[in-house]
Amino acid sequence: MEVANIIGKTEPNKIYGLMGNINLTTNNSNIGIVRGGMFSNTTKDFLNSSKSLNALKLVMLDDSILNKKGTELSNGEIKAVSLAKELIANKEIIVLDYFEKELNNREKENYKRLLKKLSQDFNKTIIIYTNDLTFLWDICEEIIYVDKDSVINTYQKNDYFKLVKLVDKPIISNFIEKIRAKGIKIEDYKDIKDLLKGVYRIKEKEYNNEISN
Amino acid sequence: MEILFKINNKDIPKINTTILHTSRSNYNVDMLEFINNNCEVIIKTSRTDINDIPLKILDSYNCLELAKKDELTNNDEIKINILKSLCSEKEVIVFYDILNYIDNELKDKLIKELIKQNKTIINYTTEIEETLYLDYLIIVHENKVIMEGQTKEVLNEEKIIKKLGFNMPLITELSSGLKYYGVVNKKYYDIESLVEDLWK
Repeated sequence: MEVANIIGKTEPNKIYGLMGNINLTTNNSNIGIVRGGMFSNTTKDFLNSSKSLNALKLVMLDDSILNKKGTELSNGEIKAVSLAKELIANKEIIVLDYFEKELNNREKENYKRLLKKLSQDFNKTIIIYTNDLTFLWDICEEIIYVDKDSVINTYQKNDYFKLVKLVDKPIISNFIEKIRAKGIKIEDYKDIKDLLKGVYRIKEKEYNNEISN
Repeated sequence: MEILFKINNKDIPKINTTILHTSRSNYNVDMLEFINNNCEVIIKTSRTDINDIPLKILDSYNCLELAKKDELTNNDEIKINILKSLCSEKEVIVFYDILNYIDNELKDKLIKELIKQNKTIINYTTEIEETLYLDYLIIVHENKVIMEGQTKEVLNEEKIIKKLGFNMPLITELSSGLKYYGVVNKKYYDIESLVEDLWK
């Protein structure tokens, strides 16, 4: 799917989620797609720019990586370098294509902070394409759901729970569904701390009802 | 214990194992070639022909329409690669950073079926939730083994796991919190058991 088809719905300084089953391509020179794939030459040759050091600094790498070949880098370093390459190209719109895969929780949080910085301080439009709703729902202004070549719907923050029916159900949502299947009323939650408080409040109420009966 | 192969000098025994790694590990093509000799290795860049997958399996995993599609997406191809594991003749299936591309529901079903077929599963992943599928867990950081053992015992080492940058699995973290407040009296590792015990 040509990414430019959905750009009409986006604005700078914002982060968008993109969900669905499509291949992303673009002919638009303002759009850069980051996939994080392997490269065989040295990082220096791969980046091929006087701006390499600045870009590497943004993705928390230093110049020690420049002489290393792609095959010598760790998975995380390869991803960071591919994002650095896109930052050097300095396009207005950056699309991350299943970029957060193969990163653990802390690494994902670090990237979320970087993406916020890129959208706010560098005026970029960031689009994150993934199947992981939990990666998107605390960072995106809007989530665009696509099928084949068209946008089916856009979801605002307070509607993200509606997406749970269409995409891979997050574990937290699965847990809440199983509670509701028992006839218990419980809110939707994104965050485990809020869920813990919610479950505790329900159990406390049940306990108090038992005592008074 | 039969040794299957080595990953970065670590002996991998023939039991269902999750290898949980940080992104500081290295994608080593040589390692995968060594594995290929006696195991079915499923990676993102595998090229599986959809015609090699029996229709029965495609149907069971809601993939029949993929056979009719003109053009498959990257995600479609990854799904087909994964389904290859169900019709492999090899005894050992190695999933390499790939299972988190499919839905949790399909993942559950697939792992159960492979275990039923008596396959040995080695799952190389960065997703902590996937550790709950298999009995043995090896944690790798910068190509070194940090910890290994029965999954639940390794998951008890919360401090080390969090220091490496992983969260605890959601149900385990939640049940630890509920245990702290006296709502339950132990840690849980699956949703159904926790819900059953909270609301009998």
